[in-house]
Amino acid sequence: MIEVKGLTKFYGQKKAVDNLNFTINSGEIVGFLGPNGAGKSTTMNMLTGYLSATEGTAEIDGMDILDDPIEAKRHIGYMPEIPPLYMDMTVEEYLNFAAELKGVRASLKRRHIDEICETVSISHVRTRMIRNLSKGYKQRVGLAMALVGDPETLILDEPTVGLDPIQIIEIRNVIKALGRRRTIILSSHILSEVQAVCERVLVINNGVIVADDTPESLSANIAGNHKLDVQVAGPVGNVGSVLRSIDGVKSVVLRTDNGDGTGNFAIESAPNVDIRKPMFFRLAEAGYPILSLKPLDMSLEDIFVRLTAEEVETASGRKRRVQK
Amino acid sequence: MKAIMKRDLLGFFTSPIGYVIIAAFLLMGNYFFYSENIGSLTSSLSYVFSDMTLVLCFTIPLVTMRLLSEEKKQKTDQMLLTAPIHTADIVLGKFFAAYMVFLIAFLGTLTWPLIVSMFGTPTLSEILGNYVAMLLIVGALVSMGLFISSLTENQIIAAIISFVCIFATFFFSTIASALDNPLLSTVLNWLSVFSRYQNFTNGIFSLADIMYYISLMAVFLFLTTRVIEKRRWA
Repeated sequence: MIEVKGLTKFYGQKKAVDNLNFTINSGEIVGFLGPNGAGKSTTMNMLTGYLSATEGTAEIDGMDILDDPIEAKRHIGYMPEIPPLYMDMTVEEYLNFAAELKGVRASLKRRHIDEICETVSISHVRTRMIRNLSKGYKQRVGLAMALVGDPETLILDEPTVGLDPIQIIEIRNVIKALGRRRTIILSSHILSEVQAVCERVLVINNGVIVADDTPESLSANIAGNHKLDVQVAGPVGNVGSVLRSIDGVKSVVLRTDNGDGTGNFAIESAPNVDIRKPMFFRLAEAGYPILSLKPLDMSLEDIFVRLTAEEVETASGRKRRVQK
Repeated sequence: MKAIMKRDLLGFFTSPIGYVIIAAFLLMGNYFFYSENIGSLTSSLSYVFSDMTLVLCFTIPLVTMRLLSEEKKQKTDQMLLTAPIHTADIVLGKFFAAYMVFLIAFLGTLTWPLIVSMFGTPTLSEILGNYVAMLLIVGALVSMGLFISSLTENQIIAAIISFVCIFATFFFSTIASALDNPLLSTVLNWLSVFSRYQNFTNGIFSLADIMYYISLMAVFLFLTTRVIEKRRWA
Protein backbone atom coordinates (compact mmCIF):
# COMPACT_ATOMS: atom_id res chain seq x y z
CA MET A 1 0.00 0.00 0.00
CA ILE A 2 1.22 3.46 -0.87
CA GLU A 3 0.01 6.52 0.92
CA VAL A 4 0.97 9.95 -0.32
CA LYS A 5 0.10 13.10 1.57
CA GLY A 6 0.74 16.63 0.40
CA LEU A 7 3.72 15.63 -1.70
CA THR A 8 5.39 18.70 -3.16
CA LYS A 9 8.66 19.20 -5.00
CA PHE A 10 10.38 22.39 -5.98
CA TYR A 11 13.31 22.49 -8.38
CA GLY A 12 14.69 25.85 -7.36
CA GLN A 13 11.77 28.19 -7.99
CA LYS A 14 9.93 25.78 -10.25
CA LYS A 15 7.18 23.73 -8.72
CA ALA A 16 7.38 20.30 -10.34
CA VAL A 17 4.89 18.49 -8.13
CA ASP A 18 2.18 20.32 -6.27
CA ASN A 19 0.53 18.89 -3.16
CA LEU A 20 -0.26 15.37 -4.38
CA ASN A 21 -2.57 13.24 -2.25
CA PHE A 22 -3.47 9.66 -3.11
CA THR A 23 -3.63 6.17 -1.70
CA ILE A 24 -2.90 3.06 -3.68
CA ASN A 25 -4.14 -0.17 -2.17
CA SER A 26 -2.34 -3.48 -2.24
CA GLY A 27 -2.86 -5.39 -5.46
CA GLU A 28 -3.91 -2.40 -7.54
CA ILE A 29 -2.37 -1.61 -10.90
CA VAL A 30 -2.40 2.14 -11.21
CA GLY A 31 -1.34 4.24 -14.16
CA PHE A 32 0.12 7.72 -13.96
CA LEU A 33 -1.00 9.42 -17.11
CA GLY A 34 0.29 12.77 -18.20
CA PRO A 35 2.21 14.63 -20.86
CA ASN A 36 5.98 14.89 -20.72
CA GLY A 37 7.06 17.17 -17.92
CA ALA A 38 3.85 16.69 -15.94
CA GLY A 39 5.72 15.52 -12.85
CA LYS A 40 5.30 11.76 -13.24
CA SER A 41 8.97 10.88 -13.00
CA THR A 42 9.57 13.33 -10.19
CA THR A 43 6.72 11.77 -8.22
CA MET A 44 8.11 8.30 -8.81
CA ASN A 45 11.58 9.42 -7.81
CA MET A 46 10.15 10.73 -4.56
CA LEU A 47 8.20 7.53 -3.89
CA THR A 48 11.36 5.48 -4.29
CA GLY A 49 13.58 7.74 -2.22
CA TYR A 50 15.80 8.89 -5.06
CA LEU A 51 14.63 12.44 -4.53
CA SER A 52 13.43 14.03 -1.33
CA ALA A 53 10.13 15.79 -1.21
CA THR A 54 10.19 19.50 -0.46
CA GLU A 55 7.03 18.96 1.54
CA GLY A 56 4.69 16.11 2.33
CA THR A 57 5.19 12.43 3.01
CA ALA A 58 5.16 9.16 1.12
CA GLU A 59 4.60 5.91 2.97
CA ILE A 60 5.22 2.46 1.53
CA ASP A 61 3.41 -0.26 3.50
CA GLY A 62 3.29 2.10 6.46
CA MET A 63 6.96 3.04 6.35
CA ASP A 64 7.99 6.56 5.54
CA ILE A 65 10.46 6.68 2.67
CA LEU A 66 12.53 9.38 4.36
CA ASP A 67 12.27 8.32 8.01
CA ASP A 68 12.70 4.61 7.46
CA PRO A 69 14.33 4.45 4.03
CA ILE A 70 15.98 1.02 4.25
CA GLU A 71 12.82 -0.84 5.23
CA ALA A 72 10.64 1.12 2.83
CA LYS A 73 13.03 0.55 -0.08
CA ARG A 74 13.02 -3.17 0.63
CA HIS A 75 9.35 -3.14 -0.40
CA ILE A 76 9.89 -1.33 -3.70
CA GLY A 77 11.19 -2.45 -7.05
CA TYR A 78 11.90 0.57 -9.23
CA MET A 79 12.53 0.77 -12.92
CA PRO A 80 13.43 4.37 -13.80
CA GLU A 81 12.74 5.89 -17.20
CA ILE A 82 16.28 5.07 -18.29
CA PRO A 83 16.99 1.63 -16.83
CA PRO A 84 20.08 1.94 -14.61
CA LEU A 85 22.17 -0.68 -16.38
CA TYR A 86 25.90 -1.17 -16.15
CA MET A 87 26.88 -1.59 -19.77
CA ASP A 88 30.14 -3.36 -18.94
CA MET A 89 28.43 -6.27 -17.17
CA THR A 90 26.70 -9.35 -18.47
CA VAL A 91 23.01 -9.81 -17.63
CA GLU A 92 23.97 -12.55 -15.20
CA GLU A 93 26.56 -10.41 -13.40
CA TYR A 94 24.18 -7.49 -13.27
CA LEU A 95 21.32 -9.43 -11.73
CA ASN A 96 23.71 -11.04 -9.25
CA PHE A 97 24.86 -7.57 -8.28
CA ALA A 98 21.25 -6.43 -7.89
CA ALA A 99 20.53 -9.46 -5.70
CA GLU A 100 23.53 -8.75 -3.47
CA LEU A 101 22.64 -5.07 -3.31
CA LYS A 102 19.10 -5.88 -2.22
CA GLY A 103 20.32 -8.43 0.30
CA VAL A 104 18.85 -11.57 -1.29
CA ARG A 105 20.15 -14.56 0.65
CA ALA A 106 23.00 -16.28 -1.18
CA SER A 107 21.35 -19.69 -0.98
CA LEU A 108 18.18 -18.42 -2.69
CA LYS A 109 19.88 -16.14 -5.19
CA ARG A 110 20.40 -18.64 -8.00
CA ARG A 111 16.80 -19.85 -8.09
CA HIS A 112 15.40 -16.38 -7.63
CA ILE A 113 17.31 -15.03 -10.63
CA ASP A 114 16.35 -18.09 -12.70
CA GLU A 115 12.68 -17.39 -12.00
CA ILE A 116 12.95 -13.70 -12.85
CA CYS A 117 14.74 -14.40 -16.12
CA GLU A 118 11.97 -16.85 -16.95
CA THR A 119 9.27 -14.27 -16.15
CA VAL A 120 10.65 -11.53 -18.38
CA SER A 121 12.04 -14.01 -20.96
CA ILE A 122 15.69 -13.10 -20.90
CA SER A 123 17.04 -16.55 -20.04
CA HIS A 124 18.72 -16.89 -23.43
CA VAL A 125 20.70 -13.64 -23.16
CA ARG A 126 22.04 -14.10 -19.63
CA THR A 127 25.67 -14.43 -20.66
CA ARG A 128 25.60 -11.45 -23.03
CA MET A 129 27.04 -8.04 -22.27
CA ILE A 130 24.26 -5.57 -21.53
CA ARG A 131 25.75 -3.01 -23.92
CA ASN A 132 25.23 -5.43 -26.81
CA LEU A 133 21.53 -5.99 -26.14
CA SER A 134 18.74 -4.38 -28.11
CA LYS A 135 16.63 -1.66 -26.56
CA GLY A 136 13.78 -4.08 -25.83
CA TYR A 137 16.05 -6.49 -24.01
CA LYS A 138 17.69 -3.69 -22.04
CA GLN A 139 14.22 -2.66 -20.94
CA ARG A 140 13.49 -6.20 -19.80
CA VAL A 141 16.76 -6.43 -17.90
CA GLY A 142 15.73 -3.21 -16.16
CA LEU A 143 12.40 -4.78 -15.27
CA ALA A 144 14.20 -7.91 -14.07
CA MET A 145 16.34 -5.73 -11.80
CA ALA A 146 13.20 -4.19 -10.31
CA LEU A 147 11.85 -7.68 -9.61
CA VAL A 148 14.95 -8.83 -7.74
CA GLY A 149 14.21 -9.20 -4.06
CA ASP A 150 10.56 -9.94 -4.76
CA PRO A 151 9.21 -6.52 -3.72
CA GLU A 152 5.48 -6.15 -3.10
CA THR A 153 5.38 -2.82 -4.90
CA LEU A 154 6.64 -2.17 -8.40
CA ILE A 155 7.16 1.34 -9.70
CA LEU A 156 7.74 1.42 -13.44
CA ASP A 157 8.51 4.66 -15.23
CA GLU A 158 7.39 4.45 -18.87
CA PRO A 159 8.10 0.71 -19.13
CA THR A 160 7.25 0.46 -22.83
CA VAL A 161 8.82 3.61 -24.19
CA GLY A 162 10.91 2.99 -27.29
CA LEU A 163 9.78 -0.58 -27.83
CA ASP A 164 8.31 -2.03 -31.00
CA PRO A 165 4.61 -3.03 -31.00
CA ILE A 166 5.27 -6.72 -30.37
CA GLN A 167 7.59 -5.97 -27.48
CA ILE A 168 5.02 -3.55 -26.06
CA ILE A 169 2.38 -6.28 -26.01
CA GLU A 170 4.84 -8.68 -24.39
CA ILE A 171 5.85 -6.24 -21.69
CA ARG A 172 2.19 -5.40 -21.00
CA ASN A 173 1.40 -9.06 -20.55
CA VAL A 174 4.34 -9.44 -18.19
CA ILE A 175 3.12 -6.46 -16.16
CA LYS A 176 -0.42 -7.82 -16.02
CA ALA A 177 0.87 -11.19 -14.86
CA LEU A 178 3.02 -9.53 -12.21
CA GLY A 179 0.09 -7.45 -11.07
CA ARG A 180 -1.82 -10.46 -9.85
CA ARG A 181 -0.01 -10.38 -6.55
CA ARG A 182 1.68 -7.01 -6.49
CA THR A 183 0.92 -3.33 -6.28
CA ILE A 184 2.08 -1.68 -9.47
CA ILE A 185 2.40 1.95 -10.46
CA LEU A 186 3.36 2.65 -14.02
CA SER A 187 3.58 5.89 -15.87
CA SER A 188 2.81 6.65 -19.45
CA HIS A 189 1.88 9.48 -21.73
CA ILE A 190 -0.19 7.17 -23.92
CA LEU A 191 -3.85 6.73 -23.00
CA SER A 192 -4.35 3.36 -24.68
CA GLU A 193 -1.36 1.98 -22.85
CA VAL A 194 -2.81 2.80 -19.48
CA GLN A 195 -6.21 1.49 -20.56
CA ALA A 196 -4.69 -1.82 -21.57
CA VAL A 197 -3.01 -2.53 -18.25
CA CYS A 198 -4.36 -0.46 -15.40
CA GLU A 199 -7.39 -0.72 -13.15
CA ARG A 200 -7.13 2.87 -12.11
CA VAL A 201 -5.72 5.99 -13.66
CA LEU A 202 -4.30 9.10 -12.07
CA VAL A 203 -4.09 11.87 -14.62
CA ILE A 204 -1.36 14.34 -13.77
CA ASN A 205 -0.79 17.69 -15.37
CA ASN A 206 1.58 20.42 -14.22
CA GLY A 207 2.27 18.51 -11.03
CA VAL A 208 -1.41 18.27 -10.06
CA ILE A 209 -3.78 15.31 -10.16
CA VAL A 210 -6.60 16.30 -12.50
CA ALA A 211 -8.46 12.99 -12.51
CA ASP A 212 -8.53 9.80 -10.48
CA ASP A 213 -10.75 7.18 -12.07
CA THR A 214 -11.03 3.83 -13.78
CA PRO A 215 -9.93 3.81 -17.41
CA GLU A 216 -13.45 2.69 -18.45
CA SER A 217 -15.24 5.66 -16.99
CA LEU A 218 -12.47 7.96 -18.09
CA SER A 219 -12.95 6.85 -21.66
CA ALA A 220 -16.73 6.71 -21.40
CA ASN A 221 -17.07 10.14 -19.87
CA ILE A 222 -14.28 11.91 -21.56
CA ALA A 223 -12.72 10.14 -24.45
CA GLY A 224 -15.72 8.09 -25.46
CA ASN A 225 -18.51 8.07 -27.94
CA HIS A 226 -19.47 11.65 -28.14
CA LYS A 227 -17.07 12.45 -30.93
CA LEU A 228 -17.51 10.46 -34.14
CA ASP A 229 -15.83 10.39 -37.48
CA VAL A 230 -18.31 9.49 -40.21
CA GLN A 231 -17.75 9.11 -43.94
CA VAL A 232 -20.85 9.66 -46.02
CA ALA A 233 -21.47 9.44 -49.76
CA GLY A 234 -23.35 12.47 -51.07
CA PRO A 235 -22.94 16.19 -51.66
CA VAL A 236 -21.10 17.46 -48.61
CA GLY A 237 -23.30 20.53 -48.15
CA ASN A 238 -26.53 18.53 -48.08
CA VAL A 239 -25.10 15.82 -45.89
CA GLY A 240 -23.89 18.46 -43.46
CA SER A 241 -27.33 19.99 -43.05
CA VAL A 242 -28.95 16.56 -42.56
CA LEU A 243 -26.41 15.76 -39.84
CA ARG A 244 -27.00 19.07 -38.10
CA SER A 245 -30.74 18.42 -37.97
CA ILE A 246 -30.32 15.28 -35.83
CA ASP A 247 -31.33 15.64 -32.18
CA GLY A 248 -28.38 15.70 -29.78
CA VAL A 249 -25.79 16.80 -32.30
CA LYS A 250 -23.76 19.69 -30.97
CA SER A 251 -21.49 20.38 -33.87
CA VAL A 252 -20.67 19.06 -37.31
CA VAL A 253 -17.34 19.83 -38.94
CA LEU A 254 -16.37 18.79 -42.45
CA ARG A 255 -12.94 17.27 -41.95
CA THR A 256 -12.15 16.37 -45.57
CA ASP A 257 -14.03 16.68 -48.83
CA ASN A 258 -12.70 13.62 -50.63
CA GLY A 259 -13.66 14.99 -54.04
CA ASP A 260 -15.28 11.76 -55.21
CA GLY A 261 -18.71 12.58 -53.87
CA THR A 262 -17.87 11.57 -50.31
CA GLY A 263 -16.86 13.54 -47.25
CA ASN A 264 -15.61 12.91 -43.75
CA PHE A 265 -17.35 14.70 -40.89
CA ALA A 266 -16.45 15.10 -37.26
CA ILE A 267 -19.63 15.03 -35.21
CA GLU A 268 -19.78 15.99 -31.59
CA SER A 269 -22.85 15.03 -29.60
CA ALA A 270 -24.06 15.95 -26.16
CA PRO A 271 -22.75 13.66 -23.38
CA ASN A 272 -24.80 10.51 -22.73
CA VAL A 273 -26.61 10.73 -26.05
CA ASP A 274 -25.99 8.00 -28.63
CA ILE A 275 -26.70 9.55 -32.02
CA ARG A 276 -25.54 6.60 -34.10
CA LYS A 277 -28.96 5.00 -34.67
CA PRO A 278 -30.90 8.18 -35.53
CA MET A 279 -28.05 9.26 -37.75
CA PHE A 280 -28.16 5.97 -39.64
CA PHE A 281 -31.88 6.21 -40.32
CA ARG A 282 -31.84 9.90 -41.20
CA LEU A 283 -29.01 9.53 -43.68
CA ALA A 284 -30.61 6.39 -45.17
CA GLU A 285 -33.86 8.29 -45.55
CA ALA A 286 -32.05 11.09 -47.35
CA GLY A 287 -30.27 8.59 -49.57
CA TYR A 288 -26.77 9.30 -48.33
CA PRO A 289 -25.17 5.98 -47.30
CA ILE A 290 -22.72 5.83 -44.42
CA LEU A 291 -19.43 4.38 -45.65
CA SER A 292 -17.64 4.29 -42.32
CA LEU A 293 -18.31 5.26 -38.74
CA LYS A 294 -15.81 5.28 -35.92
CA PRO A 295 -15.33 6.99 -32.60
CA LEU A 296 -12.78 9.78 -32.77
CA ASP A 297 -9.95 9.03 -30.35
CA MET A 298 -9.35 11.92 -28.11
CA SER A 299 -5.78 12.93 -27.78
CA LEU A 300 -4.33 13.40 -24.36
CA GLU A 301 -4.44 17.13 -24.95
CA ASP A 302 -8.20 16.98 -25.55
CA ILE A 303 -8.61 15.09 -22.30
CA PHE A 304 -6.68 17.69 -20.39
CA VAL A 305 -8.67 20.47 -21.93
CA ARG A 306 -11.83 18.72 -20.89
CA LEU A 307 -10.63 17.71 -17.46
CA THR A 308 -9.43 21.15 -16.65
CA ALA A 309 -12.48 22.90 -18.10
CA GLU A 310 -15.21 21.41 -15.95
CA GLU A 311 -15.59 19.76 -12.62
CA VAL A 312 -17.23 16.37 -12.87
CA GLU A 313 -18.49 14.14 -10.13
CA THR A 314 -17.92 10.60 -11.25
CA ALA A 315 -20.21 7.69 -10.56
CA SER A 316 -17.78 6.18 -8.06
CA GLY A 317 -17.89 9.38 -6.05
CA ARG A 318 -14.29 10.32 -6.60
CA LYS A 319 -13.98 13.98 -7.15
CA ARG A 320 -11.90 15.32 -9.95
CA ARG A 321 -9.88 18.32 -9.06
CA VAL A 322 -10.28 21.35 -11.17
CA GLN A 323 -7.29 23.25 -12.28
CA LYS A 324 -7.67 26.86 -13.18
CA MET B 1 28.96 -2.32 0.73
CA LYS B 2 30.49 -5.63 -0.32
CA ALA B 3 28.28 -5.81 -3.42
CA ILE B 4 29.33 -2.35 -4.57
CA MET B 5 33.00 -3.00 -3.86
CA LYS B 6 32.83 -6.23 -5.82
CA ARG B 7 31.09 -4.60 -8.76
CA ASP B 8 33.51 -1.70 -9.00
CA LEU B 9 36.53 -3.92 -8.64
CA LEU B 10 35.11 -6.13 -11.37
CA GLY B 11 34.61 -2.97 -13.44
CA PHE B 12 38.31 -2.13 -13.17
CA PHE B 13 39.41 -5.56 -14.30
CA THR B 14 36.85 -6.38 -16.99
CA SER B 15 37.97 -3.25 -18.81
CA PRO B 16 41.64 -2.55 -19.58
CA ILE B 17 41.74 0.39 -17.16
CA GLY B 18 42.80 -1.59 -14.07
CA TYR B 19 45.56 -3.43 -15.90
CA VAL B 20 46.85 -0.31 -17.63
CA ILE B 21 47.03 1.67 -14.40
CA ILE B 22 48.77 -1.11 -12.49
CA ALA B 23 51.18 -1.68 -15.36
CA ALA B 24 52.02 2.04 -15.53
CA PHE B 25 52.38 2.13 -11.75
CA LEU B 26 54.83 -0.78 -11.73
CA LEU B 27 56.70 0.44 -14.78
CA MET B 28 57.40 3.82 -13.20
CA GLY B 29 58.00 2.24 -9.79
CA ASN B 30 60.48 -0.26 -11.09
CA TYR B 31 62.29 2.42 -13.02
CA PHE B 32 62.67 4.42 -9.78
CA PHE B 33 63.74 1.28 -7.93
CA TYR B 34 66.37 0.62 -10.54
CA SER B 35 67.79 4.11 -10.49
CA GLU B 36 67.52 4.73 -6.72
CA ASN B 37 68.59 1.33 -5.41
CA ILE B 38 70.33 -0.73 -8.02
CA GLY B 39 71.92 2.22 -9.75
CA SER B 40 73.18 3.88 -6.54
CA LEU B 41 73.85 0.65 -4.66
CA THR B 42 71.78 1.31 -1.55
CA SER B 43 69.50 -0.97 0.41
CA SER B 44 67.34 1.87 1.74
CA LEU B 45 63.90 1.86 0.12
CA SER B 46 62.94 5.30 1.42
CA TYR B 47 64.11 7.05 -1.74
CA VAL B 48 62.11 4.91 -4.12
CA PHE B 49 58.99 5.18 -1.94
CA SER B 50 59.40 8.92 -1.81
CA ASP B 51 59.42 8.83 -5.63
CA MET B 52 56.31 6.66 -5.55
CA THR B 53 54.34 9.58 -4.11
CA LEU B 54 54.72 11.19 -7.51
CA VAL B 55 53.45 8.04 -9.20
CA LEU B 56 50.41 8.10 -6.89
CA CYS B 57 49.82 11.68 -7.94
CA PHE B 58 49.20 10.49 -11.49
CA THR B 59 47.51 7.18 -10.91
CA ILE B 60 45.06 7.92 -8.09
CA PRO B 61 42.99 10.43 -10.09
CA LEU B 62 42.74 7.89 -12.90
CA VAL B 63 41.30 5.29 -10.55
CA THR B 64 38.95 7.55 -8.61
CA MET B 65 37.71 9.79 -11.43
CA ARG B 66 34.83 7.62 -12.60
CA LEU B 67 33.75 6.13 -9.28
CA LEU B 68 30.79 8.43 -8.69
CA SER B 69 30.78 10.80 -11.67
CA GLU B 70 30.04 7.99 -14.10
CA GLU B 71 27.19 6.63 -11.95
CA LYS B 72 25.53 9.99 -12.08
CA LYS B 73 26.07 10.45 -15.80
CA GLN B 74 24.76 6.99 -16.72
CA LYS B 75 21.91 7.35 -14.17
CA THR B 76 22.96 4.09 -12.55
CA ASP B 77 23.03 5.97 -9.26
CA GLN B 78 19.25 5.56 -9.33
CA MET B 79 19.74 1.86 -8.75
CA LEU B 80 22.14 2.40 -5.85
CA LEU B 81 20.16 5.16 -4.18
CA THR B 82 16.83 3.32 -4.36
CA ALA B 83 18.32 0.07 -3.06
CA PRO B 84 17.83 -0.81 0.62
CA ILE B 85 21.32 0.30 1.67
CA HIS B 86 22.85 3.30 3.41
CA THR B 87 24.62 6.03 1.48
CA ALA B 88 27.72 5.16 3.51
CA ASP B 89 27.62 1.65 2.02
CA ILE B 90 27.89 3.16 -1.45
CA VAL B 91 30.76 5.46 -0.49
CA LEU B 92 32.70 2.80 1.44
CA GLY B 93 32.17 0.22 -1.31
CA LYS B 94 33.59 2.63 -3.87
CA PHE B 95 36.45 3.60 -1.57
CA PHE B 96 37.55 0.05 -0.90
CA ALA B 97 37.29 -0.91 -4.58
CA ALA B 98 39.72 1.86 -5.52
CA TYR B 99 41.87 1.06 -2.50
CA MET B 100 42.09 -2.58 -3.56
CA VAL B 101 43.47 -1.56 -6.95
CA PHE B 102 46.42 0.06 -5.16
CA LEU B 103 46.81 -2.84 -2.75
CA ILE B 104 47.23 -5.07 -5.78
CA ALA B 105 49.65 -2.57 -7.33
CA PHE B 106 51.73 -2.45 -4.16
CA LEU B 107 51.79 -6.24 -4.01
CA GLY B 108 53.82 -5.97 -7.21
CA THR B 109 56.43 -3.89 -5.40
CA LEU B 110 57.16 -6.61 -2.85
CA THR B 111 59.97 -7.70 -5.15
CA TRP B 112 61.90 -4.63 -3.99
CA PRO B 113 62.45 -5.63 -0.34
CA LEU B 114 63.13 -9.13 -1.59
CA ILE B 115 65.86 -7.96 -3.97
CA VAL B 116 67.52 -5.56 -1.52
CA SER B 117 67.55 -8.18 1.23
CA MET B 118 69.25 -10.61 -1.12
CA PHE B 119 72.09 -8.20 -1.82
CA GLY B 120 72.16 -6.01 1.27
CA THR B 121 70.90 -5.63 4.85
CA PRO B 122 67.88 -3.34 4.85
CA THR B 123 66.22 -2.27 8.12
CA LEU B 124 62.94 -4.07 8.58
CA SER B 125 61.32 -1.15 10.43
CA GLU B 126 62.17 1.15 7.54
CA ILE B 127 60.56 -1.15 4.97
CA LEU B 128 57.51 -1.65 7.13
CA GLY B 129 57.32 2.08 7.81
CA ASN B 130 57.38 2.88 4.11
CA TYR B 131 54.63 0.42 3.32
CA VAL B 132 52.41 1.61 6.17
CA ALA B 133 52.96 5.20 5.09
CA MET B 134 52.06 4.36 1.49
CA LEU B 135 48.88 2.56 2.50
CA LEU B 136 47.81 5.50 4.65
CA ILE B 137 48.62 8.06 1.98
CA VAL B 138 46.77 6.03 -0.65
CA GLY B 139 43.74 5.92 1.66
CA ALA B 140 43.79 9.67 2.17
CA LEU B 141 44.26 10.48 -1.52
CA VAL B 142 41.68 7.94 -2.70
CA SER B 143 39.09 9.41 -0.34
CA MET B 144 39.97 12.86 -1.67
CA GLY B 145 39.61 11.67 -5.27
CA LEU B 146 36.33 9.94 -4.46
CA PHE B 147 35.01 13.16 -2.96
CA ILE B 148 35.96 15.14 -6.06
CA SER B 149 34.36 12.48 -8.25
CA SER B 150 31.09 13.00 -6.35
CA LEU B 151 31.06 16.68 -7.30
CA THR B 152 30.86 16.32 -11.07
CA GLU B 153 29.29 14.21 -13.79
CA ASN B 154 32.37 14.46 -15.95
CA GLN B 155 35.15 12.01 -15.20
CA ILE B 156 37.78 14.01 -17.05
CA ILE B 157 37.03 17.05 -14.92
CA ALA B 158 37.15 14.85 -11.82
CA ALA B 159 40.54 13.49 -12.87
CA ILE B 160 42.03 16.92 -13.57
CA ILE B 161 40.75 18.50 -10.36
CA SER B 162 41.93 15.50 -8.34
CA PHE B 163 45.33 15.70 -9.94
CA VAL B 164 45.62 19.42 -9.26
CA CYS B 165 44.51 18.98 -5.64
CA ILE B 166 46.86 16.10 -4.94
CA PHE B 167 49.71 17.85 -6.67
CA ALA B 168 49.01 21.02 -4.68
CA THR B 169 49.23 19.17 -1.37
CA PHE B 170 52.95 18.67 -2.11
CA PHE B 171 53.47 22.39 -1.76
CA PHE B 172 51.06 23.14 1.05
CA SER B 173 53.64 22.97 3.82
CA THR B 174 55.98 25.25 1.86
CA ILE B 175 53.19 27.73 1.22
CA ALA B 176 52.02 27.51 4.83
CA SER B 177 55.41 28.48 6.22
CA ALA B 178 55.42 31.56 4.00
CA LEU B 179 51.99 32.75 5.13
CA ASP B 180 51.23 35.33 7.80
CA ASN B 181 47.68 34.17 8.41
CA PRO B 182 47.88 31.58 11.20
CA LEU B 183 44.48 30.06 10.41
CA LEU B 184 45.25 29.54 6.76
CA SER B 185 48.66 28.09 7.42
CA THR B 186 47.16 25.68 9.98
CA VAL B 187 44.62 24.50 7.44
CA LEU B 188 47.25 24.11 4.73
CA ASN B 189 49.56 22.27 7.10
CA TRP B 190 46.74 19.97 8.02
CA LEU B 191 46.03 19.19 4.39
CA SER B 192 49.67 18.67 3.60
CA VAL B 193 49.39 14.92 3.16
CA PHE B 194 52.97 14.18 2.27
CA SER B 195 54.76 16.11 5.02
CA ARG B 196 53.74 13.61 7.74
CA TYR B 197 55.08 10.79 5.73
CA GLN B 198 58.72 11.42 6.60
CA ASN B 199 58.41 9.99 10.12
CA PHE B 200 57.24 6.65 8.84
CA THR B 201 60.18 6.28 6.50
CA ASN B 202 62.48 6.67 9.47
CA GLY B 203 60.71 3.77 11.09
CA ILE B 204 58.77 5.92 13.58
CA PHE B 205 55.12 4.93 13.99
CA SER B 206 53.49 7.86 15.70
CA LEU B 207 49.89 7.40 16.72
CA ALA B 208 49.25 11.06 15.93
CA ASP B 209 50.36 10.57 12.33
CA ILE B 210 48.31 7.42 11.88
CA MET B 211 45.28 9.14 13.35
CA TYR B 212 45.91 12.07 11.06
CA TYR B 213 45.61 9.96 7.93
CA ILE B 214 42.64 8.04 9.23
CA SER B 215 40.80 11.21 10.16
CA LEU B 216 41.58 12.71 6.76
CA MET B 217 39.98 9.65 5.15
CA ALA B 218 37.00 9.90 7.47
CA VAL B 219 36.48 13.59 6.68
CA PHE B 220 36.49 13.10 2.91
CA LEU B 221 34.33 9.96 3.04
CA PHE B 222 31.86 11.79 5.25
CA LEU B 223 31.81 14.79 2.90
CA THR B 224 31.18 12.41 -0.01
CA THR B 225 28.11 10.93 1.69
CA ARG B 226 26.89 14.47 2.35
CA VAL B 227 27.27 15.42 -1.32
CA ILE B 228 25.24 12.36 -2.37
CA GLU B 229 22.58 13.04 0.24
CA LYS B 230 22.38 16.68 -0.68
CA ARG B 231 21.68 15.86 -4.31
CA ARG B 232 18.31 14.45 -3.28
CA TRP B 233 17.28 17.83 -2.03
CA ALA B 234 18.36 19.71 -5.12
